[in-house]
Amino acid sequence: MLFRMIRGVLFHQKGKMLLIALTIMLGASLATGMLNVVMGVEEKVNKELKNYGANIVVKPKDSSLLADIYDVGEGAELNAAWLREDELGKLKTIFWAFNIVDFTPFLDAQATLPDGSTAKVTGTWFNHHLDLPTGESLDTGVVSMRSWWDVTEGRWLDERDENAGAEIMAGALLAQRMGWHAGDTVHIAAAQGEMDVTIAGIYDAGGDEDEQLFATLDLVQALTGREGKVASVEVSALTTPDNELARRAARNPAALSSRDYETWYCTAYVSAVCYQIQEVMTGSVASAVRKVAESEGTILDKTKLLMILITALSLIGSALGISNLVTASVMERSQEIGLLKAIGAKDRSITGVVMTEILITALIGSAAGYFLGFGFAQLIGHSVFGSSIEMNTQVIPIVAGLIALVTVAGSLPAIRMVLRLRPAEVLHGGH
Amino acid sequence: MTKRKMFLRMITASLLRRRSRMLIALLSIGIGATILAGLVTIYVDVPRQMGAQFRSYGANMLILPREGETLTRADLDETLQAIPREELVGAAPYRYVRLDMTSRQQSFTAAGTDFAGVTQTSPYFSVEGAYPAQTRELLVGKEIAETIGVKVGSTMELTWQPTAAASELSPEESRVPGASLSGSAEGFGGGMVYVTAALNEDAAIDSLTVDVSTQTAEYGGRIPEDETFLAQFTGKTLPLTLGEDVDALSGATVTSGAIVDALNRAVQAAAPAKPRTVIFTVTGILTTGGEEEGYVFLSLQDMESMTGSDRLDVVELSVSAGADQLQTYADAVTGSGGKAQARLVKRVTRSEASVLEKLTALVFLVTLVVLLLTMICVSTTMMAVVSERRREIGLRKALGASDSSIRAEFLGEGLFLGLLGGVMGAVLGFVFAQAVSVNVFGSSITFQPLLLPAAILVSMAIAALSCLLPIRRAVAIDPALVLKGE
Repeated sequence: MLFRMIRGVLFHQKGKMLLIALTIMLGASLATGMLNVVMGVEEKVNKELKNYGANIVVKPKDSSLLADIYDVGEGAELNAAWLREDELGKLKTIFWAFNIVDFTPFLDAQATLPDGSTAKVTGTWFNHHLDLPTGESLDTGVVSMRSWWDVTEGRWLDERDENAGAEIMAGALLAQRMGWHAGDTVHIAAAQGEMDVTIAGIYDAGGDEDEQLFATLDLVQALTGREGKVASVEVSALTTPDNELARRAARNPAALSSRDYETWYCTAYVSAVCYQIQEVMTGSVASAVRKVAESEGTILDKTKLLMILITALSLIGSALGISNLVTASVMERSQEIGLLKAIGAKDRSITGVVMTEILITALIGSAAGYFLGFGFAQLIGHSVFGSSIEMNTQVIPIVAGLIALVTVAGSLPAIRMVLRLRPAEVLHGGH
Repeated sequence: MTKRKMFLRMITASLLRRRSRMLIALLSIGIGATILAGLVTIYVDVPRQMGAQFRSYGANMLILPREGETLTRADLDETLQAIPREELVGAAPYRYVRLDMTSRQQSFTAAGTDFAGVTQTSPYFSVEGAYPAQTRELLVGKEIAETIGVKVGSTMELTWQPTAAASELSPEESRVPGASLSGSAEGFGGGMVYVTAALNEDAAIDSLTVDVSTQTAEYGGRIPEDETFLAQFTGKTLPLTLGEDVDALSGATVTSGAIVDALNRAVQAAAPAKPRTVIFTVTGILTTGGEEEGYVFLSLQDMESMTGSDRLDVVELSVSAGADQLQTYADAVTGSGGKAQARLVKRVTRSEASVLEKLTALVFLVTLVVLLLTMICVSTTMMAVVSERRREIGLRKALGASDSSIRAEFLGEGLFLGLLGGVMGAVLGFVFAQAVSVNVFGSSITFQPLLLPAAILVSMAIAALSCLLPIRRAVAIDPALVLKGE
């Protein structure tokens, strides 16, 4: 009998039930869409923030200060500590390897130009192809880590090109001073060698780098006689904003309790990633570039909080909308309920019938809403970040619980009110 | 009773009698309007608020002295007028010199700066201890601190050696051979005489130019044409004595004396300053992860008293403005013809533009989706409330009410609800946006006056639209059928 009544309502009152299902669907899709976006936004924004360049710099232990502080020139072998180029692949084997987006080694030399003046020539990767010990491969280099550079003339140096080893890129200010253009061949000399190089392109970096030269790592290693050595590595990693634990750990990881240590080590804090890099690179010191790391944290936190608050608003809005409609639709059926009461139906069974109808409608509506909302999340992901937002399974129970709660909460006051009505009055038509 | 009064009475009566249903309708419109007003306010304000957060990446504009010019603090205030005060987050002037720590035979790059400005332009500086608050206090980079083993509270004796600093002085100020000197002195009748002398490798006069336009043409004014008089100066080392090193031009003794005086003054002003030693107290250790860790920082006052010059090498500015606006300011500074030129820090401006664009687009799309769904939600509720009254409509029609009068009444009711809900929503929405802004960005939001009428209009339109659809269906049906309850 119960089933029959419910079926009757669902089929005979198609219009009304459809309206409820539609509203619930919209509410559910809003909740799904927003929750998916909120959970995926941190990763997306984090990737966007990689535009600012590296947030970790790895240098050889004990040597980092010497060249800067004492102003020792090229050839003074004070700066005797180096990182090993063959160890760079190990960066992708640390615990948070997946979070390391890009990394690029650097090796500087002082080069003598044809007119006798000197300029800093930096050896680095441009679009280097690296086969990792794990069997994967990675393309990385300054092309992605200096996203703000404008190549004003010529093109980016391409490492896949067979002439790449005899090419160089010149900073805009240096090129202007020397009267160089893309395609020119110039002669440069350094401590251990000299060679003719072709200018592949001229870049505008808007900083000190405009007065420098950039060449392949191999070329600078050959010029300086430092084969297989690099002076520093810039690493771009996706990290979690620092909290109190991370700050404590950054000062001295050894002072943490073993439980805290585990939490810290297994969270992508910038200090934890630095620590793990030091573990795999011989004689290295990895430190966070606070300018980038700190700002990333601030912006990520703010964006996430903003999205959470907007989500909260839209959730409250859709919850109220749904419960409103449910209340309205139950009240509307006061006549029918009055009739049921008049022929002797118990309060409990009336409630049961009404609630079952509504919950079935809600189930259908929210199932449809979940997929619609997921579609909205993808729409936002693709049009804003150009990549899809991952389906987050945590969202399903949250949305289901929310819709159930809202539907029941919306129907209860209306049902109570209707049950209190006297059947005669209701059937008579008074409201 | 006029027709209009009757109409109003019907609407108010319907609203009052059917309190609970009307409350539901009003609530749903109110929610819609709240979300509309709240989200739009946030959306409009997000670029500004987020832009301010991006200032934590540090300076996005640099002010440098124009080639051959020197920039002082006085020039800086003039330059900064090109940038609106409310958009200027902070300005930190820097002067870099090398200071020696004689006790350890080491020398460091020292930056003289204004620490109040630094905290604003470089909020990412992490200081263990405190920033220097008064003179003779020092902030030491972490790398230096670790190398030489200083801690907060230690003292450091730093010496400024004029020769060590000579290479970073401008040609005018240079105290080395091969530079040029200029000076002035009072000549005949109180007119000023200006001289410029170029020195050769042995610091002797190589060539001399004089400006005696204030002197009497027949006497002192003849000097620039008098080759023999000027030739006496070549090869002489300053300072000079009139009558011993050089002879006065007859008839222009006062002017000749003024030239010698001007030269002597110029060389005295440019004479190598004495080394100065100051004992500093270390108040803080700086960690940045960048090259700043290899510097020591002191106040500009200390820098000026040590080097005897108030020139600046660079001023870092943090300006809260978009990339295009920044370029306009930079052009204004560079184009003003002053001593300064401005450059944008491309790494910061470019990246900020791209990230901010994405964030704005994100909030825009989210706002759009939420608004769309909410508005549909509102109208379904309205529709449910109205279609419930089909019996009433049928009854009225049976009593002889015309379709248009029924429509007008329901529409009036809907518009009234829309108005009420819109006002409610605009106020609540602003409260919500304000709460978000304070919580997320820690600053209050600007009220968008246009949003009040917009919220009211949108809610009235939605209320009216969602009334019309069910009414149209209701009035189209035969009253008998409706009343029968089909």
